[in-house]
Amino acid sequence: MVVTSRQAESHFSNGRILDEDKITKALDMATSLGADYAEIRLVSETTNTASLKDGKLERAIPGQEVGVTMRILADGAWGVHSTSDVESIVQQVDSTFRLAKAVAARRSPSQTIVELAEVPIIEDEIHWKSQKDIRETDLDKRIEMMLAIDNEAKDDDKIVSTATGWSDEHIHTELMTSEGMNRIWSFQRSLINGMVTARDGDDVVSYRMRHGGEGGLELIEACDLGEMGRNAKISALRLLTAERAPSGRMPLVADRDLTGVYIHEALGHPCEADLVAAGDSCLEGRLGETIGSEICTVIDDPTIRGGYGCYPIDDEGVDPRPKNLIVNGVLTEYLNHRETAHRFDLQPNGGARAQDGLHHPLVRMSNTIIQGGNHRDLDELIEDIDFGIYACGSRGGQVDTGRGSFQFAAQEAWIIENGSLSRPVKDVSVSGMTLQILKDVDGLTKDSRLAAPGFCGKGQTVPVGDGGPIMRIREALVG
Amino acid sequence: MIPDDAVERLMESALLIGAECEKANIQQWEIYANQGYGHSMEIEAGRISMASGGGEGGFGIRVVENGRYGYAHLVDTSSSKRAIEQALSIANRSPSIEGFELPGNQSASNVGGMKDKAILDMTPEDLLEQGDQVLTRVSELDSRAVAVGGGIGVGAGAGAIVTSNGIEYGGVYTSHGIGIHVSIDEDDQLTSSYEGESSRKLLSDVTSSVDKAVHWSQITREKIPGGETEDCPVLMTSDGFSPLFSVVVPSAVKGERLARGESFWSGKMNQMVIADHLSLTDDGLMEGGMSSGSRDDEGVPCRTQKIVESGRLTGELWSTRDAAKSVAEGKVDSAESTGSASRGGHTSPPLCGCNDLILSSSAKSHDRDRLIEEMDNGYIVHSVMGAHTANPTSGDFSVTTSTILRVEGGTVIGAISQAGLSGNMAKALNGRVVLGDSSKRKGSYSTGSMHVPDVLLMDGLRINPA
Repeated sequence: MVVTSRQAESHFSNGRILDEDKITKALDMATSLGADYAEIRLVSETTNTASLKDGKLERAIPGQEVGVTMRILADGAWGVHSTSDVESIVQQVDSTFRLAKAVAARRSPSQTIVELAEVPIIEDEIHWKSQKDIRETDLDKRIEMMLAIDNEAKDDDKIVSTATGWSDEHIHTELMTSEGMNRIWSFQRSLINGMVTARDGDDVVSYRMRHGGEGGLELIEACDLGEMGRNAKISALRLLTAERAPSGRMPLVADRDLTGVYIHEALGHPCEADLVAAGDSCLEGRLGETIGSEICTVIDDPTIRGGYGCYPIDDEGVDPRPKNLIVNGVLTEYLNHRETAHRFDLQPNGGARAQDGLHHPLVRMSNTIIQGGNHRDLDELIEDIDFGIYACGSRGGQVDTGRGSFQFAAQEAWIIENGSLSRPVKDVSVSGMTLQILKDVDGLTKDSRLAAPGFCGKGQTVPVGDGGPIMRIREALVG
Repeated sequence: MIPDDAVERLMESALLIGAECEKANIQQWEIYANQGYGHSMEIEAGRISMASGGGEGGFGIRVVENGRYGYAHLVDTSSSKRAIEQALSIANRSPSIEGFELPGNQSASNVGGMKDKAILDMTPEDLLEQGDQVLTRVSELDSRAVAVGGGIGVGAGAGAIVTSNGIEYGGVYTSHGIGIHVSIDEDDQLTSSYEGESSRKLLSDVTSSVDKAVHWSQITREKIPGGETEDCPVLMTSDGFSPLFSVVVPSAVKGERLARGESFWSGKMNQMVIADHLSLTDDGLMEGGMSSGSRDDEGVPCRTQKIVESGRLTGELWSTRDAAKSVAEGKVDSAESTGSASRGGHTSPPLCGCNDLILSSSAKSHDRDRLIEEMDNGYIVHSVMGAHTANPTSGDFSVTTSTILRVEGGTVIGAISQAGLSGNMAKALNGRVVLGDSSKRKGSYSTGSMHVPDVLLMDGLRINPA
């Protein structure tokens, strides 16, 4: 039953790519074969990437890619077919149905069958309008923006090279299901980045920066790119003089970037319900338990417009909403998709994302953010630390969700001595156990917001936003 | 799995796009085409959770006009005219590189082992049966063990390059791979291990990865207290060392990065850079090599390129454009392609990267037990978390491991739960190093395929137990 039918902003509509009649017939065929559920999702991406090396255009690549994936659920098991040949997808119903049946035939009586939570069946189009459609940005403009970083980043004899990059995409998705879901949505993402390499004798270091999010050219224009370049240069030169970081357990203060990566790795991934269902999460069975300090409240919110991880509709056609993962230290919600929502008897919360039209949806984060606390600023957070580390900027992280252990690395750091920042250090990484370190968060500044955009890998790569305030951890394993 | 005439169809489409380029009077053009097909199955929570199949592909167009190049990609030939116009427009906006031309046609040797008919004949049902074998093996080895994740896949791909300079080359390749994540969760203690392997030939035994995963999940259960932070010898198994090595070393040996001062080995050509018994070779002609072939991804014949010989830096890797650009900019006196252009598919222009990169030693190698004896006191690390956070510019890394064993007096005395591992790859390889006797390929990365044995690093590493 169609419960909603609506039409939203249509500025970016490209028109339908899938042949509605053929797809409807294919879905009907799957049902007539005995499928419990079938869906066909198409993603068309118009992309542009570009890069400069030392201020000269290195490459610029426009592209138009399309992929389509069919999922069929039969006897409680999935069969999937993906292809870049859109026309051929309707010919794959029978073989994909048989794949699902073959998987189902291998299931032992004790194993859970796949069922999907009910969701509103919607027919609509949602097209998020960027203020400045990124597809109308020409190469000269992209080069001008990258040069704004480059010109400020290289003004020092010790800077041996600069590299800047650009990436934008217009994403158009169509989803039709055997339940009658028929949704089309589109939105854009834009990103600019750079790297500065500095050298002094045999010592060579690099520093990276990145800015972007959901939206068009206006996102990049709103950034002070010159300041971004200057800051990167300063950081790279400072790293040249930095000494190796100390190792051991000590208080850690993390800037917004690193706080975001920390909360993404340490908490976000273990909250993904597909990992919980697989027996691969340290948070299995802990809903309602206090797992962090009471100052910790963490949300994952795909509806934060401008965040790199936001989307208008999830890849199962479910309207996304903010998820309260932790409220005052208590684990309150998993990220889920329809399969895991049914498995754990939860309300679907729109957490299904696929890398593109050639991949099936997994449970993924979007914009994950720890909310602000009571500390005024960095000075107040570090004033009572005798010896510790203030770490800034992210070089990425990783988590073992089953064990609950994680690691993340900083771009630069300072020693904190007697309540103030002293000398710079490099190669700081932090590791710990999710269930311990969340309890050791004992200070957060008031201002919380998304930090630099990032990418998350889980077999598939998706853009994400992370962030928070400046955070203090009572004791962390550094180095 | 793949149509018999897949290469011919790709070649035909590439030639059609090439004809469009000719019509547009483009000086030099190159059409790259690929099409992949495959089946896979996923394992989750001790069961097969999904089976899938499909295919994807497309075309990349590179045009060169007076040393300026442009690139565009597309999925079907109907939009080729527009893509050519885009590529041309970008070329006109790009800086001219004096002396840059697309490669000419040179004869190339045939490299065997790129495809296996047994893989082409694999059906989804065959793959599901392999999944059954894997799950059965896990429970046979240890009733506590669960395959929490993983999967098996087979793939076949067809690729073709056609250029205005006379290159018309195509081929078919196959692959078969398994990854398996096993955990043992008992008595409030969870240990786990992820293992995997892949090959251009049908894997003879998909359960060997299971055996390793269960083994490491078992032997890391005997926990001892973590000690103090110490600088000490570390024996990194091939599986533990390969991810770190792949992030740091392939990047450092690219000619352009060396020329731009972006490598920790910049300015050290013909100098000793690692231990004098170690050598580093990039083999593009390895039979069955996952990153080898007759030609690289811009049609230049692949070769075996020596990079470090007996500790001395003697070679580097170049693509055609990087070489011309570095010469034109005066960063090097001369350079030419080493057959090292690679792409991440049709959406990417050819970029410089390694093929099958081999770390070897002229000194006597030892099996793992002998390496442990040699180490005397230290740690064995079998996997690391955060290898991608290593710094390829400086060689510095600071990662975490939960698969770590303590060695005292040449004997393993137990596992510690978690530790940080930090150091500098260039410095560690320039210290006292002993290699193990098995250099089975460990992993294919975006940077190529790594062939590294177990590596005992005696100097320059720090272990920081949790």
